[in-house]
Amino acid sequence: MLLLPEFEYYEPTDMDTAYSLLDQLKSDGKIIAGGTDVLVNLKEGKIHPGCLISIARISGLSAIEKKGTEVVIGSQTLAAAIAESELIRVEFPILSHAASKLGSPLIRNRATIGGNIVTARPAADLIPPLMALGATIELRSKGGTRTLHLEEFLVGPGQTTINPNEILTKIVIPEAKPFSGGDYMKLGHRKSLEIAIIAVASVLTLDETGKTIKDAKVILSAVAPKAIHAVSAENELIGAEPTPELFEAAAVRAMSDCSPISDIRGGSEYRKEMVKVLTGKTLLNALDAARGGK
Amino acid sequence: MKKLISLNVNGTDYEVAVLPNRTLTQVLREELDLMGTKEGCGIGDCGACTVIMDGRPVNSCLVLAVQASGSKIETIEGVAQGNKLHPVQEAFVNLGAIQCGFCTPGMILTAKHLLESNPHPTERDIREAMSGNLCRCTGYQKIVEAVQEAAAQIKS
Amino acid sequence: MKYDVLNTRLPRVDARAKATGDARYADDLSMSNMLYGAVLHSPLAHAKILNIDTSEAKKLPGVKDIITAKEAGSIKFGVSPARYDETMFCVDKVRYVGDEVAAVAAVDYETAQKALSMIKVDYEELPHYLSVFDAMEEGAVTIHDDHPNNISAEVHNEFGDVEKAFAECDIIKVGTFSNKKQDGAFLEPQACLAHYDLNGNLTLYSSTQSVHYVQRTVAMVLNIPVGKVRVVKPYVGGGFGPKAAANSMELIACLLSMRTGRPVKMCFSREEVFMHSRARHQFFHELKVGAKKDGTLMAVQNKCYLDGGAYSSFGIATVYYAGSLLAAPYKLPNMKYDGYRIYTNKPAAGAQRGHGSVVARACMEQLMDQIAEEIGMDPIELRLKNIMEKDDVTCNYFNMSSLGARECLEAVRDGSDWETKRGNLPRGKGIGMAAAFYVSGAGYSIYRSETYHATAMVKLSEDGGTVDLYTASAEIGQGSDTTFTMIVAETLGLRYEDVHVHSGDTDFGIDLGAYSSRQTLMTGHAVKRAAEDLKRQILDVLAAEFKIPSGDMDIKESCIVFKNEPPDFSDIRIKYIKEHRGWLDHPEGDRLTFREAARIVYLKKGVIVGGGAYKPDELGGQFKGASVGTSPAYSCSAVVAEVTVDEETGQVTVDKLTDAHDCGFAINRTNVEGQMRDPFIWDWVKHCSRRSNLTRRGNC
Repeated sequence: MLLLPEFEYYEPTDMDTAYSLLDQLKSDGKIIAGGTDVLVNLKEGKIHPGCLISIARISGLSAIEKKGTEVVIGSQTLAAAIAESELIRVEFPILSHAASKLGSPLIRNRATIGGNIVTARPAADLIPPLMALGATIELRSKGGTRTLHLEEFLVGPGQTTINPNEILTKIVIPEAKPFSGGDYMKLGHRKSLEIAIIAVASVLTLDETGKTIKDAKVILSAVAPKAIHAVSAENELIGAEPTPELFEAAAVRAMSDCSPISDIRGGSEYRKEMVKVLTGKTLLNALDAARGGK
Repeated sequence: MKKLISLNVNGTDYEVAVLPNRTLTQVLREELDLMGTKEGCGIGDCGACTVIMDGRPVNSCLVLAVQASGSKIETIEGVAQGNKLHPVQEAFVNLGAIQCGFCTPGMILTAKHLLESNPHPTERDIREAMSGNLCRCTGYQKIVEAVQEAAAQIKS
Repeated sequence: MKYDVLNTRLPRVDARAKATGDARYADDLSMSNMLYGAVLHSPLAHAKILNIDTSEAKKLPGVKDIITAKEAGSIKFGVSPARYDETMFCVDKVRYVGDEVAAVAAVDYETAQKALSMIKVDYEELPHYLSVFDAMEEGAVTIHDDHPNNISAEVHNEFGDVEKAFAECDIIKVGTFSNKKQDGAFLEPQACLAHYDLNGNLTLYSSTQSVHYVQRTVAMVLNIPVGKVRVVKPYVGGGFGPKAAANSMELIACLLSMRTGRPVKMCFSREEVFMHSRARHQFFHELKVGAKKDGTLMAVQNKCYLDGGAYSSFGIATVYYAGSLLAAPYKLPNMKYDGYRIYTNKPAAGAQRGHGSVVARACMEQLMDQIAEEIGMDPIELRLKNIMEKDDVTCNYFNMSSLGARECLEAVRDGSDWETKRGNLPRGKGIGMAAAFYVSGAGYSIYRSETYHATAMVKLSEDGGTVDLYTASAEIGQGSDTTFTMIVAETLGLRYEDVHVHSGDTDFGIDLGAYSSRQTLMTGHAVKRAAEDLKRQILDVLAAEFKIPSGDMDIKESCIVFKNEPPDFSDIRIKYIKEHRGWLDHPEGDRLTFREAARIVYLKKGVIVGGGAYKPDELGGQFKGASVGTSPAYSCSAVVAEVTVDEETGQVTVDKLTDAHDCGFAINRTNVEGQMRDPFIWDWVKHCSRRSNLTRRGNC
C-alpha cells in the first residue's frame, strides 16, 4: 500500500470560504481538484502541503457554456466531460480530441481541466490545444480577479504564476473563427496511460478564399520546460498559401524552435525529428479541418 | 483529525470515521472489509483499484475517502446478484479471460460500465474503454472476446 | 484416444472466486492482534554501514520491534547453495539502492513508516558500478569480497570444435546484441503474513511461486526445524520468475512475529517491487554463427555478459541457460559458450519467463535470418533444413524426448501465407519469423538433492464420492489447479466437479513450485500417479467384494463399469440408502454409482489415500554445469509476425501473429491458448524496446 502523508482537509461550499482558507494557510494550503496529480505527487513525496482544500463541492465550477462569442469551461470540469461534450466537439474538436488522450479513461473520470493547467507538467495534454485556441484563464482570490493567457501563466515544470491564495475558476476560449481548424497529436510508446514523448497542437485560420493563412498557432509540448509556440514555424505560415511544401518548411522551422532534452522517454535527436513529423502532420490535418469546417 | 463520511457501497449505506489521508481503496478494504478492490501501484497506472463512483469508473487509489463522502460506489462485490453472476462475469469465466485474477475485478467493473453506456461496442471501443486496466497474464485478447461475448449475451 | 475430461475447455476451478472478488491474495489476509512491518532500504548504491541508531524510532508510540542484522544474524541464503550471498539485512555494507537495512513492526503501516524515517544510519560511500564493464575493470571495488572483478559466476563450455568448424564454414555471421533489463511487472506486489504461535510453529502466508523453497530458506535462516515451518500461498497475482525464491521481507516478517509474539503483515509498494527486481537480466551477447552454403548449421560461438545486479538470485542458472539452450532446436554439432555474470550495484536480476534463453534466442534467430538472406534461402526453409527431430540429442546432451519443431514451423508457414507474402508486401510492411525452445521443468532442483520434484496425495472422501487432491504446487494464474483437477478427474473416471484441489501449502507435500514451466509435466505426473494409486485401492476392495478381478472393472463417468456382466449390487445400494435416511437423491438406475462404491471402500478400509511422486531420471552429460538446461521434455514454438513500420516515427505496429507451440498434450485448451497469447505481447515489447540499443551499437 502506498501511503499518503498526513494533511488537514477542508471542503468549503462557497468561494469566499475557500479564499479565506487559502489566505490563512498561505503556501501550506493546496487546492485539490480531481487529485490525479496532487495525490500522486503527495505519495511520491514531491509536495508537502499541510492542508488540502477541495473545491469540488462549490457549485458552478464545472459547466461548459457558450456565452456570446466565448466558450467558458469551469475549472472543475472533468477531462472526460470535455471529451464527451457535444459543444466542445463542435466548437473545438482539437480540445475534444486532446481531452480523450489524457491519461486513461479512469484518470479522465477524475482529472479536471483546472488541475491539468495548474499542475503544469511539460507534457500536459490540455495545455497545447488551449494555447493554440488562444484561451485565457481566470484566477480569483480574496483580493480580486485576474485573467491571463496560458503563455503568461506557465513558468516551468510544475511552476506557474499562480499565487498561493488564488483559485483557477474558469477557462475562456474565444469562439472558433470561420475557416479555422486544428489538430493535436501526441507521440508515445503506448497508446494510452502515456506521457507524451512529444506532442504538437496546430491551429490554422484561413481567409475566406482558403488560399491564405491568416493565422497559425503551432504549440510544442514535452520539448521544453513548458509548452511553447514554435515561433518561426508560425511566422513561416502566416500570410502564406497553405501547401504541403509550406508545411514541410514550417515543420523544419519548428525543429529549430525547440531544444528538447534526452530522458527516459526519448532522446533529444529523436524528439527534434518528431517535432518535424508531428508539426507536418498536424498542419495537414488542421488544413483539412479548416476547409471542412465552418 | 478524523472526519465522519457516508458512503453508499453496493447499495448499503455506511458511516465511517476516517483521517483525511485515507484513500477510498484503503477504506473499502480496511474499514469495510471489501477485499475485491486491489492496489497494484497506488498511483493510477494499473487500474487494479477500479471502482464505479457516481456512475464513472475511477482509480480508487487516487480518490480520498473524504472526497467520496456522499457518493454511490460500486465494487466487484456488488456485481453478481446473490449467487448469480453478471453476464460479464460469466463471459470472463467461460472464455478464459481470467488467469491470476488480480486485474479481474477492475476489468469486470470497467467492462460492465462500458456495456451499460455502449451496448454494442466495436473491438476498438472495448480496447479504448479498458485501456486504463492493465493485465500481465492474458495478453488482453481473451478479455476483449469476453466483453464481446457479454455484449452478445446481454443483447439476447 | 478419447478423453472424458482432458483436452476440453472446462472453465478454471478458481475463475468464479476471482470474478467475484472472493479470491484472497496475501494482502487481503489478516489476523487479530496483527502488526504491520515495513523495511528501511538503503538510499545508496554501494556503501559501508558505519552505524545504525534505532533509539529514537523505538520510542515512537505504536512501535513494537525494530530489527537489523544485529538481531537477524548473518546466515547467508539465496537460490542456489553454491551462491548463497544474501542476508536478511545488510551486515557490513549495502550493495544497491533498495538493499534491506532495518525493519519495524508497529500497530499500523503509518507508524511503521514514520519509525523508519526516524532510524539514523551512518554510511561511508563506496565507488558504485552501474555497468558490467565498469564493475569488471581492474581496480574496481569488489561488491562481494570473494568475487574479484565482480564476477558473480562464469561458465566456459565447448562441445565439438568450433574453430575447426568455422574454418569449414562458407558463411559466418557475427553480431552483438543487448536487451533492456526487464521487470516482472506482475499486478500483485509481493506481500506476506507471518504467524509464530505459542507452540513455536511458524506459518507464513506469502505471495510466492514456491512454498517449498521459501520454507527451506526460512527454516535455514531462522534456525527453526523445517517441520515447524509451514508456508502457504494464498491466491497469487502473477509471478513470472521474481517470486520463485524467498525474499528478505518474508524472513523479516517471520522474525518480527517470532520476537513480538504477534502476526506480522508486510507488503511491497510498487517501488519496492522494482527495487527488489529479481527479474530478467540485461544480456550483452557477442554471437558468431557459421554455416555451409547449403544452409547446414555448423557452429555457434556465444560470449555473454550478464548484468547480475547486487546479488546472485537465480543468476547462477541464468548464466548457464544463456548459452546451453542455443543447442536446440537446430542440429548444432559445435558450440562454444563463455558466459560471465557480473555483480553491479543495481537491483538483483534473477529468473524470468524463459530464464536466460530468450535474449540468446532472439540474437540467434537474427543471425539465422542473415545467413538465409546471404545464401538466398527462405528463412523458414533454413530452419527446416536444420531442425531437430524426436530422439535427437544436442551436442550438450539434451535429449529431445519429443519435439514438434518441424510441425510448428510448417504450421506457421502455411497458416500465415508466408510464401505468398514474403518479399511481396508493400513498402512499410514486413513479415518475419523466429523459432523458440525451452525446458518443461528443470531436470534438477535448484539445490543439489535427490528430492522428488513433486509429491501428491488424493484422498477419497468417506461420503459423497468426491476426492480431495493435496499438492504443494503453486497456482499463480497459469492454471495448474485446474490442470491437476482435470488429471485426477480423468484418471479416476469422475466428474470434474467432484475433485477438489488443495494446493500451495507445504503441509501437502513437496513441490518445487511454479518456475521453468514445470508444473503440468512434473506435478501432473505425480498427481496422475496418486490418482492411479487411489483407483487401484478402490478397485481392489471392489474386486474382493464382488469376487471379480480388478482388471475387469473400471470407473467412468462416476460409475463403476464392468467388462462382463455386472454383479448384483443391490445389497450395496440398500445399505447406502439405509445409511442415508432422509436424503432425497438416493442412487438409482442400473449402474453402480461411484458414491455407493466409494462408501463400501470406506467401510472396508477406513482411510483411503493415494500417493504419487515424481522426479526425472538422471539427465544430461558429465561436464560442469551439465545439469542446467536438462529437462525430461522440451517444448518449442514458431511465430510468423507481420508488421507495419511507420517510417516517419519509427513506430512499429504488429498487424498479425501466427503462432504454433508444441505443448505436448493440451490438458485444457482454453488455458493453453491463454498461455500462448501473453508471451507474445511481452516478447514483442522487449524486442521493440531493444531497438534503441541496437541502433546505438550499429544494427546488424
